[in-house]
Order: sequence, then structure tokens, then C-alpha cells
Amino acid sequence: MTDLTRRSLLKALSAGAIASSSLSVAAKAFAVSREKELNILCWEGYNSADVLDPYRKLRSATVHAESATNSPTIVNKLRAGETKVWDLINVDNPWAREFMYPNNLILPLPIEEFAPYFDKMLPFFKYPFDWSMSTDGTKLLGMVQRFGTNNFVVNTDKISRKTAEEQGWKLWADDSLKDRYAINIADDWNVCHMFAIAGIDPYREHTKEEMELYTKTCKRIFANAKFVGDIAAVNQALVTGDIDVYLSGGTYTSSLARADGYDNIRAISPNKDAYMWIEITSLVNNPELSPLAMDFLKYVQEPEVAHTVAFAEGTFNPVAQMANPECFKLFTKEELDIIQYDSLEEDLTKCRADDIIPNYDEAHEIMVEAKRVKG
Amino acid sequence: MTKFSVQKIKSSLTEFISSKGGKCALPVYILLTLGFVAPLFMVLGFSFATPRSFSAFTSFSLDNFIQIFDGSTSVWRSFLWSIALAAFVTAILAVVCYPVAVGMVRIFGSKTSTFISILFVFPLFVSENVRLYGWILFFGKNGVLDGICKLLGFHGPDILFTPGMTAMGLAYSYLPYMLFPVIMGVALVPKDLITAARDLGSSRLRTWWQIELPLAMPGVLIGMLLTFVLATGSMSESKILGGQSIIVITNDIDVSFTFSQNWPQGAALAVVLTLIIGSLTLYAFKKIDLDKLMGRS
Repeated sequence: MTDLTRRSLLKALSAGAIASSSLSVAAKAFAVSREKELNILCWEGYNSADVLDPYRKLRSATVHAESATNSPTIVNKLRAGETKVWDLINVDNPWAREFMYPNNLILPLPIEEFAPYFDKMLPFFKYPFDWSMSTDGTKLLGMVQRFGTNNFVVNTDKISRKTAEEQGWKLWADDSLKDRYAINIADDWNVCHMFAIAGIDPYREHTKEEMELYTKTCKRIFANAKFVGDIAAVNQALVTGDIDVYLSGGTYTSSLARADGYDNIRAISPNKDAYMWIEITSLVNNPELSPLAMDFLKYVQEPEVAHTVAFAEGTFNPVAQMANPECFKLFTKEELDIIQYDSLEEDLTKCRADDIIPNYDEAHEIMVEAKRVKG
Repeated sequence: MTKFSVQKIKSSLTEFISSKGGKCALPVYILLTLGFVAPLFMVLGFSFATPRSFSAFTSFSLDNFIQIFDGSTSVWRSFLWSIALAAFVTAILAVVCYPVAVGMVRIFGSKTSTFISILFVFPLFVSENVRLYGWILFFGKNGVLDGICKLLGFHGPDILFTPGMTAMGLAYSYLPYMLFPVIMGVALVPKDLITAARDLGSSRLRTWWQIELPLAMPGVLIGMLLTFVLATGSMSESKILGGQSIIVITNDIDVSFTFSQNWPQGAALAVVLTLIIGSLTLYAFKKIDLDKLMGRS
């Protein structure tokens, strides 16, 4: 073993000094590079080149966006410690107010800078819009853009819009729809809709009897379904006539078929117990938050960008900014038809915004079990 | 057959590390090993974490494993479906691919064999999901098959979204993984041996059973192993073609990591699945003489 000498100690110290200074330079370089870097965790659409490329050019920035097709997956990334990675997070409405802010995963926005944008949104989203605010109503937690219904989608040649809206969830009250419907894979929404079919309010605590009824409903609905598939599969089956209706879909899903010219595919908001989602985009509680994060939030509020977001690749959705005439004029008649603009106002009055199901874990396990055993 | 042994691996490793090339390649090997082991280590860590927590190694709980084995859920069905389907598809593919391999090695000329190889490899260049959706268009109502049947005056069969379609999808997706190792196995059988056996009066069946098949078996086993492992870990086929008429274990793992928000549960399921597949793989390796397969003995 070599003895520790003055020479070797000095050598070790200088090596350590070089290493630490290199690390500090690297850290500084990282901080500097964040000025031109933006990382977005979002639903599909915001990761589209149509939305991001103009911004990349505008700010000469490196923008990285990662998408998912369900909110829990997106939120889980922050829960697993990725707050250091992301600058913006875009998820369905309940998450910001009910979960992410109380758990210090997101930061509030400066109200004076962002509240004025709400003036140009549809009246439904008028400031202070509940879902973009903290539960005590004092903090602005995110900006609103895309929204849409999420109930069920019918082929109006088989089930008329009037019947579907009037009957609503009662369409599944008996076995008459056996093998005539599919279930779109969206477990969180599936749970909500199983409660709705059982005639139970999903967003409150449930009694033992209610959970028994919910269990029975899950088993029956999954046993009677023709299949369980993703958006592409359920839309395809609806178009070809394999099924007449699918559960857990809305303008978000029907717009794809309608864009292909199938006007008979229509998202339905039942007259009773209809549901909708609203996306909230928030600042991540990142210790090295990119200065571009707030800038991007403002950028997507621009009429042209809002229109692009509405028709970004993936799915087509209405946007809150459509109230702004500058934005609305960019939508063609065909585009308005694709997103079912004719019933948009009616839908907003009928639908209840998505919320956290208090016993979601238990309800989800019951549903997964029902899916496995199929009755 | 030479047994697959730890001692043999140890001596090969020592020989490799003591060589100059081995020493130079060591940093890369360490990096690759870390890259391979670290994620598995994380999965293992999560599997022992408190249910529904989001950090590994900060808590210890056996609850995730207890829940799998205590019978409170029907997750065993998913394991059973995955393994049964994989075994069924592996058997079917072995039966289908063997004659094709014999044809390509012995009967067809090199040009035809190359052409057939390209035919089998070509689909791999297209995304699996795209190919599976292609089958939906083929088998679906008013699809290609239904359209042809209607032209002939009857309706096409309603076979989409069934366990059978899941099996078909698996067989279709993993056929190349069975075929090419089997071709390799069949190619290693010396033609002279077969001729000699035939000259000595052995029947075709006996020659195949006692000479050809045992000699081709390493390739067949490798193919079966590859197919079985990949099919057990597949999910798209049951989701797209099967319409979730059955739930496979990979789907349960996926749901645990997403909608259930229960990473430890998903990790525990992954660990159990890995153990099952790992045990089967080790057992199969004990039966395979890799040296013989590679023509080194």
C-alpha cells in the first residue's frame, strides 16, 4: 500500500479541485442551457410539430415534449421525481387543483399576467375558473385550452341522437345492447361511466351497497361488450357497423371519424349525468424551471396557435379561445362540424367536469377484476 | 450433450478478461451490464416497496407479492392465459416452421430460399401495431374477408376479438423468430447422415425421428424459447386483435403502472413473470448444447 505523502495529498487535492470546478462549470452550463430549453409533459397534440416547430424557430429553443394518452401516467412521472426534468405539465382538470398543487408538484402562475387571457375565452371559463384555481381560490394553477365531452359515441344511423341523449346511461340498463357496443380503453373514464350506468354519482364517497351495485354493473357491462379496444379500434368498429355505440368516448374520439367524413358518428352528452374534461396546463415545480415555460403558455393562447392546437395531429377538440373572433374565424365550417360545434354550448351546460373519484383505487380494482373474469 | 454450467462460463470469462481485447472491451462491457442490470434492479426495488408508493428502496413490504398469491384477485388468470397462449403458439409455430425450414434448406434452390426469407423478414420492417390493425381491416365487418364472402353470397365469419384471434396474431407476429433458428438447426444436420440412414434401410419417418430431429433440435429449441419468451411478454395482439377478450399478464402490468397508479404492484407482477420465464429459460438451456449448435464441437 502506498503511504500518504505531502506530494500525493497535493495531487489528490488538485484532482479534487479540478473535478469540483468541472462539475460547477457543468452545472452553470446546464442552468444557462435551460434558458433555451423547454420540456413539456402533455397529452398528445401539444407535442405536434405544427405547434412546436414555430415556437422553436421563434425562440431558437430546444423544445422537447413527451405525450401520453391518460392523465395518471403523466402525473406519475412527477410523482416519481421527474419535477427536475419537466417545465410544463398538461393534464385533465382535477389533477392540478386536487392533487398536484397540494403535493407541491406544480407552481402557481402570476395572476396579473395570466388572468387577462381568460377574458378572451368562452364565458364558461370566465376568470376565476374553478378548475384552474387552487381550492381556496387564491392561486391560479394553470391555463385552459382544450376541452371536450366524455360519455359515449353512437352511430346515429343505428341509435338516433335524440334517443341517445334522452335515454343516456339507461341504454345499458338491460342486456338489449349485448354485443352491440365496445368499451374504449380509458380506465379512469371507464370507472366513472360504470358508476353512471349504475346510477351512482362517481365523485362522492360510496356506501357498501353502492359498491355492490357498481361491481354488478361492471361485470355485466364488460360481459356484454363486444370488445374492449383503443380509439382507433372502437371508431373503426363503429364505422364498419360492427358495433352501434361505444362507451367512454366524446368529441375527443368521435372527431377522428367525423374528420374522415363519417358525420353519423356522434359524441353524445346525455341529458342527465353527462361528463366532460378540461385540460389545465401548469408550471412544474422544477428547481431549474425554464424561463420559456410561462412564455410558451402565453404563446399557445395566440389565436393562430390555439387553432393549431385544436386541430393538432392525434385528436381534434374545441378550445376555450374560440370565443375570440380572431381565433374563431380560423375554423372552417368543416372543422366546426368535426368538433360538433353545433352542440358545444348545450354540452357545456349539460356536462359536469371530471373530478377525483374518492375510492378510485377500490373501484378500479373491481373493474379490472370484472374485465378479467367477464361476468 | 454438454451441460450448461457455471464453471464453464467462469473459465470463458477469465479467458476473455485476461486477453488484450477483453481488457480493452471491459469498460464497454461494464457499461452495458450496468445498463441492463440497473433497470431490473429498480423493478426489483419497486416490487418490495409499499403498495402505491412512488419510490423504490425507501420502504420494504411483501404485500405486493402476497396480493398476487393470496387468491384475493384473479390475476392468476392473466398469468395462465399468457403462458398457455405462448405455449400454444410456440407449439403451432414449431409444427408450421419445421417443414418450411426443411424446404428452404434442402428442397428449394438458393434463389427461392432467399426470396422466401425476404418474404418472412419484410413484415418486421413495418410497425407491429400497423400490421395488427391491417388484420382488423382484413377480418372486420365489411372488411376484406367479409367483402369477398359477401361477393360469394354469404357473410364472413365473426372471429375478431376472440382468444383465437389473439393466438393468430401471436403466431403471425412471432413466426420469423421461430423460423430462422429452425432453419439454422436443420442446416446443421449433415446430409450424409440422412443418406447413410436411408441406405441402411431406415424408413423416412425413422430417419427423421432418430437422426434429423435430434440433430436439428438445438435450433428448434432456440426458436421455441425465443417465441415463447416474446409471446409471453406480448400485449398488442390481445389488445388489438383479441379486443381484451382475455387479459394477459403484460396488460395487468401496464395497467398497474398507468391507470392503477400502483408501480410496486406492477413491479411485483413483472418480477414474478421474469422468474417464471427465467426458470423455463434456464431449464431449456440445460437441454441445449450451444457449442454443438454453433458448430464448435
